[in-house]
Amino acid sequence: MRLAAQIVVAYFLLLLLSAVWRLFPWSELVPDIAVLIAAYLGLTAREQAAPSVASAVLIGYLADLLFGTPTGLIALISGLTCTACHLIQGRLLVRGSMFTTVFSGLIALAAGLFTILVRSFAGLLPPGWGSELGTLALSVVITALLGPIIFRTCRFVDSRFARTRRERDAAASGMIG
Amino acid sequence: MLFKRKHLDYALAGLLLLLPAVILRSSLREPVNQNGFDRAVLRISSPLQAAASWVVGGLGGLFTDYVWLVNVEDENDELRATNLRLREELGQLRGAAEDLAVLEELVDLKRSTQAETAAAHIIASSINSHFRVNRVRIDRGDAAVEVGMPVISAEGLVGRILHSYGTHSDVLLVSDPQSSVDVVIEETGGRGLLRGVASDDAYFCEIEYLEQGKTVRVGDKVKTSGLGKHFPEGLLVGEIASVDSARHGLYQKVTVKPAVDFSSLDTVLILLAPPPPSDPTRAQNSKSKAAHGVEPF
Repeated sequence: MRLAAQIVVAYFLLLLLSAVWRLFPWSELVPDIAVLIAAYLGLTAREQAAPSVASAVLIGYLADLLFGTPTGLIALISGLTCTACHLIQGRLLVRGSMFTTVFSGLIALAAGLFTILVRSFAGLLPPGWGSELGTLALSVVITALLGPIIFRTCRFVDSRFARTRRERDAAASGMIG
Repeated sequence: MLFKRKHLDYALAGLLLLLPAVILRSSLREPVNQNGFDRAVLRISSPLQAAASWVVGGLGGLFTDYVWLVNVEDENDELRATNLRLREELGQLRGAAEDLAVLEELVDLKRSTQAETAAAHIIASSINSHFRVNRVRIDRGDAAVEVGMPVISAEGLVGRILHSYGTHSDVLLVSDPQSSVDVVIEETGGRGLLRGVASDDAYFCEIEYLEQGKTVRVGDKVKTSGLGKHFPEGLLVGEIASVDSARHGLYQKVTVKPAVDFSSLDTVLILLAPPPPSDPTRAQNSKSKAAHGVEPF
């Protein structure tokens, strides 16, 4: 139920982003919200990783459909991100705005590099890499800045679906895992 | 059992990761292909996207307009402030130009006046709703200024010091009924005593004791005669405004319009000492003897 709620919230966030982001002057720099949510799902996955990975893939797939990227691209990145975050969740506690910002930036950087890699394999990368790297850097910054907000939203959703008060407090404070 | 379950979980996650990889590969080869799930999602999402875009676009437009208007308001405030500042500067410059013109006149007058003088500003005038103002106050009243000293402007004779107190003095204008100046009509040489006329609508003076035989015409210049030691000789007082020779008696009634416009008077010169005498043998006595009008009037 918790994961379904996260998927619905993610869907509406992506829907809103796809509808309104073009209105902003920096519309070319799109934050990797799907990847951030996937990272959160990986960090907060309980005993089993598969449901979280499936949710992350689905969210990524919805992002692909709404953003117009090749279907499967963000889904694959989201799935990989979720898996990676699940693997390190025992060693990493993402709390506090500053650390969340840095963590979100690193996630966005990894996702961006992976995207460039996929595009180069597919022969879709333009000859000049400079502008791509510049766009990647700015995208990392904007994703990093939005990271704490996205994580807080996800924690809020988790806290609404907590089974006990202790779980709710833990989810709200980012301690769930 | 738990170990097995964990491996199964990871295997399932791996399979889940393979799925988007396959879809991506397929999508990169055939970008236009859409399955039923894609179409369903897009069919549901499109109206929602349109609605969100419409709402946020409208809000965005409002926000943009608001921000724009805020900028315009700031710009307007800045322009208003600049306008006000420039107007103030313009006013100050105009005032400075007027002051400069007055000062130039005063300097010219001072150069042309061969006597010790002191400049003074008009700071106040007697205000009465029923009578013309015939006394003004100046910002000079130090030890050098004495009662009775002549006060002149670039146009001509203003009057004389009536009171001197502290750093200020009152000037009795020639148009005041208490004022009397010994004058001569430049064109005819006729002499008389100029007295102010208490008029409530104009500054006027009359010449008393002007004999009937002396020819006087309207427009003739009236100057100080130098007699009586109150005013130096040759100061312009005004010009003849009207002549009434038909009166019975020894003297004519002559009205004089003062040369000075007292209503716009701003700066004056006080004659502290008489001009040097024209007699060269008395040149050594030229400076700073007793001022004109040392005696109270």
